[in-house]
Amino acid sequence: MISQLDRKLFRDLRRMKGQALAVALVMGCGLSMMIMSRSLIRSLESTRHEYYEAYRFAEVFVHLKRAPNRLVDRIAAIPGVAAVQAGISVQVTLDLPELDEPASGLVRSLPDHQPPALNRLFLRAGRWLRPGGTGEILVGEAFADANQLHPGDSLTLLLNGRRQTMRIAGIVLSPEFIFESRPGTALPDNRTYGIFWMPYRALASAYDLYGAFNQLALTLAPGASERPVIGALDELLKPYGGRGAHGRTDHPSHIRVSDEIRVLHTLAIGFPVVFLSVAAFMTNAVLSRLLTLQREQIAILKAFGFTDRQIVLHYLKFALVMVVAGALLGVLGGILLGVRIVTLYQLFFRFPELAFSLDRGAMLLALAVSALAAILGVFSSVRRAARLPPAEAMRPEPPARYRPALIERTGMARVLSHTFRIAVRNLERKPVQACFTIAGLALATGILIVPNCFRDGIQNVLDFQWDVVQRQDIGIGLVEPSSDQIKHLFAQLPGVIAVEPVRSAAVRLRFGARHRQLAIQGLPAHGQHSRVIDANYRQITLPSEGLVISSKLADVLGARVGDLVILEVLEGRRVTRTAPLVGLAEDFAGIAAYMDLHALNRLLGEGDIITGASFSIDALAWRDFLRELKGIPRVSWVAVKESLRANFRETTAASINVIQTIYLIFAVIVAFGVVYNNARISLAERARELATLRVIGFSRREVGAVLVTELVILALIAVPIGLLIGTGFATAILREVNTETVRLPLVLLPGNYAFAVLAVTIASVVSALAVLRKLNQLDLVGALKAPE
Amino acid sequence: MAFPPGIPDRLRIFRVRQLTKVYGEGLAQVHALAGVDLDLYAGELVVLLGPSGSGKTTLLNNLGGLDVPTAGELSYRHLDLTRADEAALTQYRRERVGFVFQFYNLIPSLTARENVGLITEIARDPMPPELALEMVHLSPRLDHFPAQLSGGEQQRVAIARAIAKRPEVLLCDEPTGALDVRTGIVVLEAIERVNRELGTLTVIITHNAVMAEMADRVIHFSDGRVHDIHENARRAPAQSLNW
Ligand SMILES: Nc1ncnc2c1ncn2[C@@H]1O[C@H](COP(=O)(O)OP(=O)(O)O)[C@@H](O)[C@H]1O
Ligand SMILES: [Mg+2]
Repeated sequence: MISQLDRKLFRDLRRMKGQALAVALVMGCGLSMMIMSRSLIRSLESTRHEYYEAYRFAEVFVHLKRAPNRLVDRIAAIPGVAAVQAGISVQVTLDLPELDEPASGLVRSLPDHQPPALNRLFLRAGRWLRPGGTGEILVGEAFADANQLHPGDSLTLLLNGRRQTMRIAGIVLSPEFIFESRPGTALPDNRTYGIFWMPYRALASAYDLYGAFNQLALTLAPGASERPVIGALDELLKPYGGRGAHGRTDHPSHIRVSDEIRVLHTLAIGFPVVFLSVAAFMTNAVLSRLLTLQREQIAILKAFGFTDRQIVLHYLKFALVMVVAGALLGVLGGILLGVRIVTLYQLFFRFPELAFSLDRGAMLLALAVSALAAILGVFSSVRRAARLPPAEAMRPEPPARYRPALIERTGMARVLSHTFRIAVRNLERKPVQACFTIAGLALATGILIVPNCFRDGIQNVLDFQWDVVQRQDIGIGLVEPSSDQIKHLFAQLPGVIAVEPVRSAAVRLRFGARHRQLAIQGLPAHGQHSRVIDANYRQITLPSEGLVISSKLADVLGARVGDLVILEVLEGRRVTRTAPLVGLAEDFAGIAAYMDLHALNRLLGEGDIITGASFSIDALAWRDFLRELKGIPRVSWVAVKESLRANFRETTAASINVIQTIYLIFAVIVAFGVVYNNARISLAERARELATLRVIGFSRREVGAVLVTELVILALIAVPIGLLIGTGFATAILREVNTETVRLPLVLLPGNYAFAVLAVTIASVVSALAVLRKLNQLDLVGALKAPE
Repeated sequence: MAFPPGIPDRLRIFRVRQLTKVYGEGLAQVHALAGVDLDLYAGELVVLLGPSGSGKTTLLNNLGGLDVPTAGELSYRHLDLTRADEAALTQYRRERVGFVFQFYNLIPSLTARENVGLITEIARDPMPPELALEMVHLSPRLDHFPAQLSGGEQQRVAIARAIAKRPEVLLCDEPTGALDVRTGIVVLEAIERVNRELGTLTVIITHNAVMAEMADRVIHFSDGRVHDIHENARRAPAQSLNW
C-alpha cells in the first residue's frame, strides 16, 4: 500500500525534477556555507585549543627594559600565577643576500638546558639547538618558507650591531606566533620579517643582558583572574621599564585567529539563514503547485481510506527528498570548500597541523534546519489539502475568482493588452505567492551584492589605501629612540625624495573600563606619507593637541570625538595623561592612535625624539637606497610597502577572494534557481490556460508573452527591493566581519549593482527560454481533456 | 442555411481520405483512426455520433489542426493539413477554426467580453466581442468573470469566443457533456443559430443520439472508422430536442 504511494512519490519527483533540483541546489548552497564555516570554526578552535594546551601558551605577556633573573621568583609568587617563563626578546636586522631590502626580525631566547616552561616550540624540521651550543638558530616556519630556508642553511644577523652568521638547526612553530607579523602592524610580511630562537646564553651575551630578562610570560592558576595579576606585575616591573602587561586579548597572534573565528561565526549564520529562507519559499511554491495538481488524487486516496496523516506524510516525504538531496550537496560542498579554505589558512596561520575537521554536529543541525525550512514550506498547504472533504476534492477546483487588477481600475485599462491583463490579474489574485516569489528574487538579487562588495573593498584597500593614503615607499624603525637629527642623515641616502619622521611609543589607552595596548604614532601634522584619513577620505591635519584614533578603536573603547581618553605611556618616563579625542581615522588594518609628532614628544617629555622614518624613493635609485640602508646598524626593521601589499594580496585578499568567489557562485545559483523555479511553476499552473490560447490560434510567441510578462513584472518589482536588501546585507556583514585586525571599507560601486541586475536578468532570460522550450512541448490535446 | 442534400456543386471544405492516426508503439499501439473517408461541406451542420473511444475527438483534433495524422489525406480547401508546419497550423486555427470544448476552457482571469476580445485582437476580420456575445444571448453578462457564470453561460462564452473571428469551421467536442438538459439545449440553440446565420460549417461531437435530429447529416463512428452516414430530410430545431 505504502510502496505504491512511494512509487507515486518517485514519479512525481521525476516529473518535477527541474524544480526539485533547483530547491535542492539552493538548499545545498546554504548548507555548504553553514557546514563549511562551522567546520572551519571547529577546526580553528580545536586546533588552537589543543596547540595552546600542548605547547603551554601563556596567558599574560609583558616586555620590559631589563630586570634581573631573581625577580622571576617574586613574580611567580604573585597570587594567581601558575607558571612563569622569562627570557630575552630583541629586534634584529638580517642580511639576506637574495633580498634587496633589509629584512628584520625578532629573536627570542630559549633556556639553555631545558625546554621552556611556557610557549614551547614545535619542531617542524631539523633538530633542536644543542645545549650550550653557539652559532645555531631556530627559524620560524613562515619566514623560512617565504625565503626558502632549510636546516643547515646559514643566516646572517646583526646582533647588537655585530654581524653574526648562524647555522639553521631547525624550523619551528610557536603558539605565540600562529600569525607572524611585526609588532604594531596587523599585516604580515613573511619575506622580510621573521621570528628566531637562540640559546639564552648566546643572546644575552650579545646584548649584555646576562643574568637578566626583558620579556616575560606567565599562566594563571585555575580560577585566578587576569586583572589583579596584571596590576601586581606592572607594579613589580615598573622600576625595570615594564611596558605594561597584557592578556591574550591584546596578543596580536591570538586576536588575529580569534577575529577569523568571529568572522566565520558571522558567515556561518548570516548567509545560510538567507539561503535557507529562499529554499523554504521555493519548497512552498513547488509543493503548493503539486497539491493543486493532485487535488483529485488526494480525494481518491482519502476515499480509499487513507488518513490525513498518511497523506501529509506522503507530501512531506516529497519535500524531505529535496532536503536530503540538498543536505548531501551541502555536506559535499561544505567539505570541499572547507578543505580548500583550510589550505589557504595554512598560508597565514601556522599550526603544527591544521586539518579540516568536519563538524558533524553542524551537519545534523544543517539537516534539521533545512528540514525545518522545508516543513515550514509545505505544512500549511499540505494540511489544507488533507483537510479537504473527499467529495469536494473530487470536483475540479472551481474557476478561480478574478477581478480587474488595481492598475486597471486606475483607468489604464484601455492601454493594456489582454496578455498583460492576464498576467497582472494572475499576480494580483495570488498576492501571497507573488510576494513569496518577489521575496525570493529580491533575496537572490541582494546576496549578489555582498560578495562583490567584498571584492571592491579589497580592491579599494589594495589601490586606494595603499597608494593614496600611504604615500611612502618604505618605513623603517630604529633600534633605539634617537634624536630627530638623524633625519638629516636619512635625507642623504641615495634616491630619497622625501623623508618624514615617526615617533612611536607603547601606550595603554583607557576609556571608562575599556582599554587597549598599542603603539601610538607621532606624525608630522601635515605629513604626506602615512596620511591619516577620515571617513570621507580627507586627510586629517593632526592638531597640536589631542589624538586621532582608528574608528574601530573608538568603537572598541566606546569613545566618541570630544571624549577625554587616558593615555598611559608604558615606556620612558611612563607618564599618564588625558588627551581629547579629536578625530577618527579610517584605516583597514589593526588599531592605531595618532598624534602630532611634536605634541607627542611634548607629552612624553623626552625632547625631540624619533623612533623611525618613512621615505619616498626615486624608483631608479631604489636598489642603491636599499643597499645603503642595509648598512645602517641603527635600523632595526624595514617595511616595504610593495612587499606588504603583495603579502596582503597573497594571503588576506586571496582568502577573502576565495570566499567571495564561492559566495558569488552560490548567489548566482540561487538567482537562477529562484527564477527558474518560479517560471516553471507559472507554466505548470497555467498549462491548461496556455494550451487553450494555443488552440484558439495564439502563436507560441504570443502565449510565451503571457508568461514572460508575468516574470518581467515580478522582476521589476523584486530587483530594486533586492538592491536595497543587498546594500543592507553588505553593510551589516561588513560591520560584523570588520575586526580589530583587518577591515574592509564599505565600497558600493555602480558596477556591483549593475552586475546583480545583469545576473538576475540573465538568469531570468535563460530560465524564461528554458520554460518557453517547455511551452513548445505543451500537450495541446491533453490540456483540453477534463482537468487532471 | 443548410444545403439540400444531393446538390452536386456544394462547396467542399474538408476532404478526408484513408485517414489514420496511431498512438503509441508496439503492443501498446492504438489505432485511434483506422482509415476515415469523409467530405465536409460549407455551411452544413454535422453531428458525429459514436461510442466512447471510437476516435471522434481524434478526428476533430485532426480537422482543427491540433494534431497531425499518421497517414492518409486531409485537406482544408487547398491547404494540405498533413504537410502544414507549426506556423501554418497556428495561422489556420487563428483564422479558420473555432473550437468549443466540453470543459469550456475559458481564461479565468478575463471577463466574458475579454475572453472574446482575446480572439478579436488577433483575428483578421473579427466581429466586435459584444456582437458575438449578443449572438449567444449573453449581453447582460459582458463583464462577468468565468467564476461568476454558470456552466451553460460559460459554454456560451466559449461559443462566442469561437465564432467571433467569423470562422469557416466550428468544431464542438461534446459541448453539452458537462451540462444538464435545459442548459444543454440553450447551448445547442446558440450553436444552431451561429450555423444558420453565419453559414459556418459546424461539427458537433456527441454520444447522445437525440442530438442527431438537429443535424443535416449524422455520421456514425465506430472503431476509428465512419460506419454510416445518414442525411436528415429535415433539421429539427434544437429547442424541440429532449433527452
Ligand atoms: N494521446 C493519446 N495517446 C494514446 N492514445 C490515445 C490518445 N488520445 C486518444 N487515444 C486513444 O485513441 C482512441 C480514440 O480516442 P478519442 O478520439 O478520444 O475517442 P472518443 O473521443 O471517440 O471517445 C482511444 O482508444 C484513446 O484511448
Ligand atoms: Mg472524445
